[in-house]
Amino acid sequence: MTKYIGKRLLRSLLTLFIIITIVFALLRFMPIEGYFQNFEKMSENQIKVGLQQLGVTDPLPVQVANFWQGLVKGDLGVSHKYRVNTPVIDIIAQKVPLSLTIGMTSLCIALLIGLPLGIFMARSTRSRWKIGDKLGTIFVVVIQAVPSAVYHLMIQFYGTDALGFSMFFKPDDPSTWILPILSLSLGNIAYYAMWLRRYMVDESNKDYVKLARAKGLPGAVISRRHVFRNAFVPLVQFIPTSIILTLMGSLYVESLYSIPGMGGLLVNAIQLQDNTLVQGLVLIYASISILGLLAGDILMAILDPRISLSKKEGGR
Amino acid sequence: MENNVILSVRDLDVKFSLRGRSLHTIRGVSLDVQRGESLAIVGESGSGKSVLTKTFMGLLDGNGSITGGSILYNGQDLAQYTTEKQWLTIRGREIAMVMQDPMTSLNPLKTIGYQVGEAVTLHQGLTGEAAKKAVLELLADVGISEPERRYSQYPHEFSGGMRQRVVIAIAMACRPKILICDEPTTALDVTIQAQILELIRQMQKKYDLTTIYITHDLGVVANVADRIAVMYAGDIVEIGTCEEIFYDPRHPYTWALLSSLPQLGVKGEELYSIQGTPPNFFYEIQGDAFAPRNPKALKIDFVERPPYFEVSPTHKARTWLLDPRAPKVEPPEQIKLLREGGVNRHG
Amino acid sequence: MAFFRMKDNKTAALASSLEERVQRQYTPEELFDFAPYDPNAGERGGYSNYSYWRSTLRAFRKNRTAVFFLLLIVATLLFTFLEPFLPYEPEANTIYWMEKAEVDMWTLEPLLDEAGNPIVKTVRAVNEKPADRFWFGTNSIGQDLWSQIWSGTRTSLGIGFAVACIDALLGILIGVLWGYVRKLDFLFTELYNVFDNVPQTLLVIIISYILRPGVGTMIFAMCLTSWLQTARFVRNQVVIIRDRDYNLASRCLGSSSWRIITRNLLPYLVSIITMRMALAIPAAIGNEVFINYIGLGVPPETPTLGNLVEAGRKVMMEPALRYQLFFPVIILSIVTISFYIIGNAFADAADPKNHVN
Repeated sequence: MTKYIGKRLLRSLLTLFIIITIVFALLRFMPIEGYFQNFEKMSENQIKVGLQQLGVTDPLPVQVANFWQGLVKGDLGVSHKYRVNTPVIDIIAQKVPLSLTIGMTSLCIALLIGLPLGIFMARSTRSRWKIGDKLGTIFVVVIQAVPSAVYHLMIQFYGTDALGFSMFFKPDDPSTWILPILSLSLGNIAYYAMWLRRYMVDESNKDYVKLARAKGLPGAVISRRHVFRNAFVPLVQFIPTSIILTLMGSLYVESLYSIPGMGGLLVNAIQLQDNTLVQGLVLIYASISILGLLAGDILMAILDPRISLSKKEGGR
Repeated sequence: MENNVILSVRDLDVKFSLRGRSLHTIRGVSLDVQRGESLAIVGESGSGKSVLTKTFMGLLDGNGSITGGSILYNGQDLAQYTTEKQWLTIRGREIAMVMQDPMTSLNPLKTIGYQVGEAVTLHQGLTGEAAKKAVLELLADVGISEPERRYSQYPHEFSGGMRQRVVIAIAMACRPKILICDEPTTALDVTIQAQILELIRQMQKKYDLTTIYITHDLGVVANVADRIAVMYAGDIVEIGTCEEIFYDPRHPYTWALLSSLPQLGVKGEELYSIQGTPPNFFYEIQGDAFAPRNPKALKIDFVERPPYFEVSPTHKARTWLLDPRAPKVEPPEQIKLLREGGVNRHG
Repeated sequence: MAFFRMKDNKTAALASSLEERVQRQYTPEELFDFAPYDPNAGERGGYSNYSYWRSTLRAFRKNRTAVFFLLLIVATLLFTFLEPFLPYEPEANTIYWMEKAEVDMWTLEPLLDEAGNPIVKTVRAVNEKPADRFWFGTNSIGQDLWSQIWSGTRTSLGIGFAVACIDALLGILIGVLWGYVRKLDFLFTELYNVFDNVPQTLLVIIISYILRPGVGTMIFAMCLTSWLQTARFVRNQVVIIRDRDYNLASRCLGSSSWRIITRNLLPYLVSIITMRMALAIPAAIGNEVFINYIGLGVPPETPTLGNLVEAGRKVMMEPALRYQLFFPVIILSIVTISFYIIGNAFADAADPKNHVN
């Protein structure tokens, strides 16, 4: 198992290296306005000199090498527009704790609501009219089909109206935390409920469940001890995806509610065209996604005794 | 004789609904299982043999139901059982089951010890150390070496044959009166098959069981069965002792089944195979279900379903050939060879 | 005998032998004579009139919700694409003017000219509420929201279809190569393992940031990696089919690779394409809404559902103007939910496992 985890770790580092390099190379095509504070007022010569100073006119391999040198030291360059000449890493570091708190809380809430919902739906498939399953499915379909950007908007709009909360986030007013976290977790609630339900229905048709029935275990015990447990394990592989979902959701939600976190920051940086800040944030987001996948693989290896060494079963 | 019957099935009808239509898969089956015997139910796939035994434990799939007849066990009519609570008094405790594919019949995420222990706790009321001790004994009993080490292993660390032993251990942990073995060796290597059959036989002796084998493999049947019931298209067409079925079969389907045994093939001649396919349950069957595939069918076979004709007190068959009015039809050559003792029982 | 398809001679023979048997009447004397033996008759029972596409269709038809949404989306699509040809439907970007009585800024009293008549000025028909003239009202620059929305639906569906088609095309092409050519397996698997880790939204952001916002950019950005999923899916199917025993058998029997592909692979592929298409459209529209929000989307000159929602969001603080958000959101939800449900229902129906009942 240690060997397996080590292997996966190495692999993830390699993937991370490749992705960061590719993204960095891609970002070399960024519009050059994004490197200067007052591009419009600058002469052509000034621009040229400025670009050379930034090192973005160097050949690509040199730039990549320089970038990695800086990265190892924790240097992501300085912001050009958002906060002029402040190191990007400092700007981001300030924003991480809040984003992390909100993201993690919403993930936990998603599990706390999504899993029982999934179990409830799976149980309901055995009842006569399957009403619970049908209602749950409607919820899942709406959340999955309607773009999150749209329902986030509707929640902000109606939620604040109906509950009398402020439309904007204030760290010391707990009521302003509720709606952002809830909208952020909706996607994952639907996701977990859907998959848990599907896996539980699948598992309950398997032979070992039939044998468990044949040996006289009551249905409730079977679904608790065998079906739920076995359906839960493959869910672990969705944790990375749900981390990505939360990350991407936070872009929109944080900026909608003006939450001073990383997601809002990226939207801000894009709107301001602050190249280095965008680059820094994109790289961090990509890294978190990859690390999330790694975490999922490791968890899976711990929970499922069958996982054979070093075998990756097709990503998510 | 009568009071020695442990399970008595009368005129059982089972219907499934499929693609909006109704399938009549068990068509009026009657069967008495004697205490302590081992009965084999033989038939092609789709003949309804698995469905029949599933009704004894209330394990029919959701779209199937008993529409008529009775299953008497201990003075109770199992055909009338509807709630899970009622069935829990039967499943495991009275009737246990060994299923076809040991690779899928154990929970891959629980240890062997846990899965056997579950049955021990449930049916013997043991917990903790006592339960573990009982499990280890059971594992040793079914021939698993180093039970201590095996106790905490997972199914994927066992071979197919070993897993089937575990499944048998689980069944034994229930202390049942009847053991249903649904194709217990089909998924196993030929070399393992005999061991598993031998193990079941030992268990039968040790725990005083009645066993019902479901199989399409006549080789298995010859090895283990006291009595044989031949099923075709949801009906028992012939039933008798092992000797009677092998040496004096009467139903054309039984002839065909026996003739296609590879052991009976004559060198240089093509092996016999039954023409056609079993009937589709979508159509209501008229007359003798086997008639369309029987080259020597009588006209009446297409018109009216034959009743049982008694050949001996233990042997009866559902074929018009046994009617006094019927012309004499000789069984195929291979059957006669069999009768003359050309094949030993353990072939 | 309605359920007999007269597909070939054998089927016909089976059917006729059945007819004959049903009608056969015997006299009591001959009942115990031998019956004529027809080797075909024995085949009748086992003959299953199973057809993949028919069963798929039947399974789909049984899902009434999906059928309802299919009808809904077909109607919506028809209307969306016919709308420009309806009489009196001008170009979506037309700005409307209307005559309006001028009012005093403070008292809101109508202003009068010397003759005592109200002063009427021709102004843009800005933010007009939904009414007879403008069914969905007008937006903040005086365009008819009704025609804007249908035009936007056309563009968004166009983006969705384009993404889905390119995705399916690339995915299938590469997936088949990936599966059938063993030498390429390693390369593509590694590529997949690396690139599948990048969240699509992030990539769409990067690409839209680098390139100029527009319909083409959107399509390009969304297609860049989405085909990987399709290719992977196709590859898995190809590998399963490639190694499955019956193909080995059919190859031994001398059937050509072409036959294997058309008979065994094609049904899978058609279902994959249909399903991916149905699911790519909601995804594309979702991405588009988001990208428009961060200001990298399609410019407002080309209405899309995404930038209409964004335009509506900007005015949502004003309760009277909220219709500008609602109408795009309602149409968008109808489109995405329909496609999502149809896609899933089709995927379920296309799975042979669900053909049983």
